[in-house]
Amino acid sequence: MKRFLILPLLFFWSLAAFAAGTQYTLRVDGLACPYCAYGIEKKLKQIEGVEKIDVDLKKGIVIVDVAEGVALTESQMKQLFKDAGFTYRGMEKKPL
Amino acid sequence: MKTSQAYKKAGRSAHVLAVLLVGVGGWTGQARGAPITFNTALPVAKGEFFFREQLVVNQSGDDPSGLDRDRRAEAAVSVLGYGVDSKLALFGVLPYERNELKLTSSGQRVTRRASGFGDLTVFGRYTLVQRDEPGSNFRVAPFAGIKSPTGEDKENDTLGRLPPSVQLGSGSWDPLAGVVMTYQTLDYQVDGQFSYQANNEANGFEAGDVARLDGSLQYRLWPRTLSGGVPAFLYGVIEANLIHQGKDRVDGTTDPNSGGTRLFLTPGIQYVTKRWIAEAAMQAPVSQNLNGTALENDYIARVSVRFNF
Repeated sequence: MKRFLILPLLFFWSLAAFAAGTQYTLRVDGLACPYCAYGIEKKLKQIEGVEKIDVDLKKGIVIVDVAEGVALTESQMKQLFKDAGFTYRGMEKKPL
Repeated sequence: MKTSQAYKKAGRSAHVLAVLLVGVGGWTGQARGAPITFNTALPVAKGEFFFREQLVVNQSGDDPSGLDRDRRAEAAVSVLGYGVDSKLALFGVLPYERNELKLTSSGQRVTRRASGFGDLTVFGRYTLVQRDEPGSNFRVAPFAGIKSPTGEDKENDTLGRLPPSVQLGSGSWDPLAGVVMTYQTLDYQVDGQFSYQANNEANGFEAGDVARLDGSLQYRLWPRTLSGGVPAFLYGVIEANLIHQGKDRVDGTTDPNSGGTRLFLTPGIQYVTKRWIAEAAMQAPVSQNLNGTALENDYIARVSVRFNF
C-alpha cells in the first residue's frame, strides 16, 4: 500500500521541481562597481522567462532564475555580456 | 575709445576661462563611477543611453591689469551618451550658460552678461584596449569630435558687442581629440586622459588651442568591506587637471595677455548606486602661470547627477 502512495508523491514532486525552472550562475569578468550591474540586469530582463536576477560584485557572478522551459545558452550569454561591455566566462546551472 | 579698448582687452584675456569651463573634459564621465572633471574609458552598453547634468560655477578674479575684473560663469551642462556597440559610444554635450563680467574702466563699474545655450560638442569614443579580470578591468579609448558654433557669438548690450569671454559661443568649429584610460577595481579606480582642442577663428578672434592632462583616483570609502550583492558605493575622489592654453589671436595679432598654464587639484565625493550617481567637486588652482594680465581662476565648483535610462 505504501508503495502505491510513494510513487504518486514522487511524480508530483518531480513535476513541481520541473515547473520551478532553472537557476544559472554566470561568471563575469570586469564587474567592479554598482553601476555596472544595472546595464547587465537590464539586458537580462529583456529575455523572456527571466524571473529573478541577483548580482554579486564581490564574487563576480550573476545569478539568474528562469521559468520552466527557458534556457540560457553560452553563445547568448557571451553576446549579451559583450554588448554590456564585459566579458562572459562561463555558467553553472541547477534546477530550482 | 579708451573704454572700448579696455572692454575688448578684458574680454580677450578672460576668454581662456570660457574654454576651460566647457572645454575638453569636464562634461562626460558617464556611467559606472568615473572622474568628475573629465571623461572615462568605461563602456556604455550597446543600445543604451545615459544622461548627465552638471552644474558648474567658474569664478575668476585677482586681476593684475588694474581693471578689477571679476568674471563668473555658471553653466548647466547636459550630456547624452549612447552605446552604438560594445566598443563605440557617441556623446553630445550642450551647456546652458550664464556669463557675467564686471570691470572698472574710466572710473566706472560696468557689468556685462549673457545667458542662453552655448556651443554643442559631439564626439565619438572607441574602446581600443579592453582587459577584464574578476573584479577589475582596464580600458584605453581614443576619442575625437568637434565643438560646433551653436551658441550666440554676436551678442550685444548697451555698451556694444560683448567680449568673447561673455559670448555664449565662440562662433567657430573647433575639432578635439584625445585618449582616455581607466583601471577599475572593486576598491578603487584610476583614470587618465590627454586631450587637445584646436580653436579656430571667428569674428576676428581665435582662442588659443587647449591641451589638457587629467588624472583621477576614486577610492571606495563605504562600505569598508564587501559582503555580497550590489551595495551603493561612496567614493572619495581626488583629481588633478593640468591645462595649457596658447595665446589668443585678435585680427591676426597674438594677444600677449592671454593663455598660460594652470594646475588644479580637485577633491570630491561621489555616491554610486545601480541606477544613479551623485557627486560634487571643487577645482582649486594650485599653480597658474599665465601670460601678461590674463585673469586667474579662483575656483571651479561642480555638482552633478547621472543616470541610466
